[in-house]
Amino acid sequence: MLEKREFEQSDFLYRLSLAVTVVSGFFSLIVFLLLVVNYMQIRAADPVNNEMITKMRQEYAALPEEDPALAQRIRDLDLLTRKAFFTTQTHLRVGAVMLLVGVSLFLIAFKYMMRWKRDLPKLAETPTAEKEFLAFAQSRQLIAWGGVGLLGVGMMTALLTEGAIYSTVDARILEAPPAATSAQNAATEAQAAASPEGIAKAIETPAWEAMELNWPTFRGPGSTGVAHFTSAPTQWDLAAGTGVKWKTETQLPGHNSPVVWENRLYFSGANETTREVYCYDTESGELVWKKTLDRFQGTPAEPPKVNEEAGFAAPSMAVHGKQVFAIFANGDLASYTAEGEFVWGLNIGLPDNHYGHASSLLAYGNLLYVQRDDNSKARLLAFDLATGKEAWEAERKTISWASPILARTSFGPQLILNSEATVDGYAPDTGKLLWSQECLGGEVAPSPAYGNGVVFAANEYATASLIKLNGTAEAIQPEIAWQYDSFLPEVSSPVLDGERVYFATSAGQLVALDTKAGTELWVEELAESFYSSPVLVGDKVFILGTEGKMYIVQAGSDFALLATLNVGEGTFATPAYLDGKIYLRSTGHLYCIESSHG
Amino acid sequence: MLLWLFIGGVLLASLPGNAAEMRFPPPDFQTEYRIPDLYTPAPATTNGVFDALMLFAALCITTWLVFRARSRRGLFLMSIFSLAYFGFYRTGCICPVGSTQNVLAGIFVPDVGVSIVVLSFFVMPLLFSLFFGRVFCASVCPLGAIQELVAIAPIRISPALDRTLGLGRYLYLGLATVGVATGAGFLICRYDPFVGLYRLGHSYGMLLAGGVILLLGVFIARPYCRFLCPYGVLLGWMSRFSKWHLDIPPSPCVSCRLCENSCPYNAIDMPTPAHLVEDPIKGKRRLRYILFASPLIIAMGAVGGYSIYEPLSRVHPTVALSERVALEDLGRVQGDILESRTFRASEKTVETLHGEALGLRDVFKKAGAWLGGFMALIICLKLIELSTVPKREVYTPHKETCFSCGRCYPYCPVEPKRVAS
Repeated sequence: MLEKREFEQSDFLYRLSLAVTVVSGFFSLIVFLLLVVNYMQIRAADPVNNEMITKMRQEYAALPEEDPALAQRIRDLDLLTRKAFFTTQTHLRVGAVMLLVGVSLFLIAFKYMMRWKRDLPKLAETPTAEKEFLAFAQSRQLIAWGGVGLLGVGMMTALLTEGAIYSTVDARILEAPPAATSAQNAATEAQAAASPEGIAKAIETPAWEAMELNWPTFRGPGSTGVAHFTSAPTQWDLAAGTGVKWKTETQLPGHNSPVVWENRLYFSGANETTREVYCYDTESGELVWKKTLDRFQGTPAEPPKVNEEAGFAAPSMAVHGKQVFAIFANGDLASYTAEGEFVWGLNIGLPDNHYGHASSLLAYGNLLYVQRDDNSKARLLAFDLATGKEAWEAERKTISWASPILARTSFGPQLILNSEATVDGYAPDTGKLLWSQECLGGEVAPSPAYGNGVVFAANEYATASLIKLNGTAEAIQPEIAWQYDSFLPEVSSPVLDGERVYFATSAGQLVALDTKAGTELWVEELAESFYSSPVLVGDKVFILGTEGKMYIVQAGSDFALLATLNVGEGTFATPAYLDGKIYLRSTGHLYCIESSHG
Repeated sequence: MLLWLFIGGVLLASLPGNAAEMRFPPPDFQTEYRIPDLYTPAPATTNGVFDALMLFAALCITTWLVFRARSRRGLFLMSIFSLAYFGFYRTGCICPVGSTQNVLAGIFVPDVGVSIVVLSFFVMPLLFSLFFGRVFCASVCPLGAIQELVAIAPIRISPALDRTLGLGRYLYLGLATVGVATGAGFLICRYDPFVGLYRLGHSYGMLLAGGVILLLGVFIARPYCRFLCPYGVLLGWMSRFSKWHLDIPPSPCVSCRLCENSCPYNAIDMPTPAHLVEDPIKGKRRLRYILFASPLIIAMGAVGGYSIYEPLSRVHPTVALSERVALEDLGRVQGDILESRTFRASEKTVETLHGEALGLRDVFKKAGAWLGGFMALIICLKLIELSTVPKREVYTPHKETCFSCGRCYPYCPVEPKRVAS
C-alpha cells in the first residue's frame, strides 16, 4: 500500500514542489493584480451611466425637434462604451480562469511540498494527553464566556436597532387595517374625527363668493389675474420704507407667489434637500407656523434636476378656506390646515420636464387640481381635498409650464389649460375635455386669461390668439376670433378686462390689445423684463418687473403710466392684491404694503 | 494569508457566472438589433432516485474504506469523486445538509410535504452515522470534500477554542429552524458558501465568503464543518451512539502517543493521566451547580433570544423589504434596489407590506425565545459534559466530532503491521 511511504522524504521532490509553489504563487499574484486593475476599469467604464452620453442625452431631450445627427453620435458613443465594457469583461473572465489554474497549481504544489518534507511525529515532553485534560477546565470557562458573549452581542444588537425605522415612519403607514368590533369601530370613528383627515372633512368647502374675497391662488381668484377689490396702494417706496406695513425676511428660496385667506398668508420655499411651507399673520407679519415636509411614499431620494430660474418651489400654493396645499419640483404634494396640522401628503411622481415642475395649484369645490406635466405622460389630476385620494385623471397631449385657470363661463365653470400646442377646457367635476383649440407653439409658460366669454392665450415664438367659446354646454365650439404676433409674453401671463387684454414680455414691453378687433392699442417699452404677471385692480393694471419696479398703468385704450414704484430688489412672484393692501414677495423679503403707512 | 484571502475573494467574484450582476438595459435608441424575447427554460430533468442510489453507494464505499481498507488515500480519492459528482455535476443540490430544511418545513409548515428522495438524502447519512460514525463527512459530503482537499497545512487550534467555536453549528441549526418555521426561507442554502463555486455563479458576498473559508481551510482544516455545519450537529448526535466506529489502531492500542497530534480536528480522546484525575467530590459539586443553574441559564437565554426579535426578523425577506422601503421613504438611503423597485411596481400597498412585517415580528418574538433557550440548553449540556471526564486508558476517536477522515491511520505503528498481514 502507498500509505507505507507516508513519511518518506525526498529532498529533490520537495525542492521541485517548492519551485512550482513559488512560481505558481507569483504567477497567481501577478494575474490577481492585473485582474484588480481590470476590475476597476470595468467599474469605471459603466456604459449606462457614462457622463458624456448622459450629457448628450440631456441635450437631445432639450431640443424642440429631433436631431438625427446628435442621435447617431449618441448611438456611436453608446456602442463604443459597450464594446469597451464587454472587452474588459472578457479580459476579466480569461484572467479569472488563469488565476483559477494558477491557484490550483499552487495548492497542488504546496500539498506535495508539505508531503515530501513531512515532519515525523514528535513526542512532546509533556504528553498532549495532559494538556488535553487541562483543556477541559479551559473549555468550560470559554464556553461559559462564549454564552455570555452571545447574550451580550444579542442584547447590544437589540438595543442598537430597536425602533430604528418604524418608530419614525409616519404612524398612518403602520396602521394595519383593524378587524374591529363595534366598540372598536366607535373608538376608531372618534379617533378618525380627531385625525387630520377628519379635521379636513369637517372643514367647510368655501363658495366662490368667499374665494373672490381672498387671494386663494396664483393670480388671485380663479387664477385669472383679476382682483375682486378695487383699491390697492399706489404710492409707496419699499426701498425707502414708505408704505410698508410690515416686512419680513423669507427663508428658503422659491419663485411662487403668496396666497392669502382672511388673516393668513402662505407661500413655500425649497432647496435640493428641504421643502417648507410658511404661514404668516397678515396683520403683524409674524410667522404663525412653518412646516418641513417629510418624505412620502415614492419621494425621489435624489433631488430633481431643475432650471435655475425655476428652482425647487416654483408652483404657487393654493388656499381653500381653512385648508392649504403645496407642491414642489420633486412631485411632493402636501395639505395642511390653516393651523398647520398635517392633513395628507403624497408624491405624484417626479414630473420629468426639462425646466422643472412649475404649474401652480388650484382648488375649487371639493377638488384640488394639479397640472402634472411629464415629457412621457402629461396629465391633469384632481384630488379629493379631504383625503388626498385621486378623484380623476385627464390625459393631456403635450406639456407646458403654465398653470390652470378657473373660468366661470356661461356654459358653467371650466378649467382652462395651455399646452405646447393647444388651449383646452375641462369639466372641473369629471375632468372631461370640453373643447380644445390648436393655437400655441414652443415651450409655453404663460397661463391663459379669461374674461367676458373669451379666452386669450399667447406664447413667445408662437402667436397670441383670442378664442371665443360658441355652441352649447354639451358641445362647446371654440373659435379663434383673431391672432396677433408682434410682441409676445415668455413667462408672464396676460389679463383681460373685458374689452382689452394686457400682457408683459420678457423683453420689457407692456402691451394692450383690443379684444374685439385684435388691434394693438398701445405698446410701451419699459426698462426691465417681466416674469411676474399683470393684475387688474379696479381700473388699474399693476405689473412688477424683475429688477424691482412696480408699474401702475391706467386700464384703457390709451397708455397712461400712473406710477413707477420702487421695490429695491429683484421680483419674480406675482403679488396678492386685497382690500387696500398688497402682499409682495421679493427674492429675499415679504412685504405688506398699505397706503396709510410710512 | 490575508493577501491570499483577498486574492481568493476577487478571483471568485470575477468568475464568469457572476457576470449576471453586470447586466444593464439595452440602448435607448432604436437599432436594427432585435432583443431576444425573455423565456423561462424548461426545468432540468433530474433523476432523484439515481442520486439517492449514488449517495447510498458512496456511503457504502466510504464505510468500506474507513473500516476494511482503512485507506486514507482511498478516502481522499473518494472525496474527489464526491466533489465532482455531488458538487460540480449535481451543483450541490440536493444535499443532505440542505435537506434538513425540507424536513423541518415538513414539520413546521402546514401542507408542505417531503419527497421520498429528499427524505432519503436526509436519513441515509444519519443512519450510517448511527451505525458507522460520520462516514458521510469523511468523503461523501461535497461541502466537506472540498475543504478536505484544501486542508494542506492544517494546524491544531486549542481544544477549548475548538469546542467554543463549535457552538456556531448549534446556532446555525437554530437559525435554520427559525428560518423555516417563520417562512423566512432556507437559510442554509441561501448562505451556502460553496454552492457558488459548484455553479460558477453567486452573489459577490457569498463567493467571497466561500473563497475566504477555503483559504482559511488550508491552515484550519474544515472550518465550515467544525464551526458552522448544522447537519453536522445531527450527524454528531447520531455518531455518539454509533454501534461501530473507526478506531485509530486496528488492534489494541499500544499507547505509543504517536497519533497525539495527528488529528487537526481535535477529535482524538486521550487517555486520562492518572495523576491529574480530579477529586470526584469536587467534580460532583461542580456538576450539581451547573444542573441547578441550568433552568435559570435557559430562561435567560430565552429572554435574550426574545429581545433580539427585531434584528432577527430581518432574515425574513418581507421584513427586510419593508424596512428597506421605509428607509427609502424616509430618505435614509439613497436610490432603490431591485426588490423595492419591484414592490413599488406591484399592486401591493406600503401599508399592507408594513402590516405584514409587523405581524412577522411578533412571530419572531416567539422564535427568538426558542432560539435563545435552545442555545442556552446546548451550553448547559456542553458544560455538563465537560464537568464529567470519563476515565480512558487508550487513544480513541471522539465519536461526535471525528470525521472518519483517516488522517490518523498513517501515524499508528500498528497499521503497517495490519497492512503487512
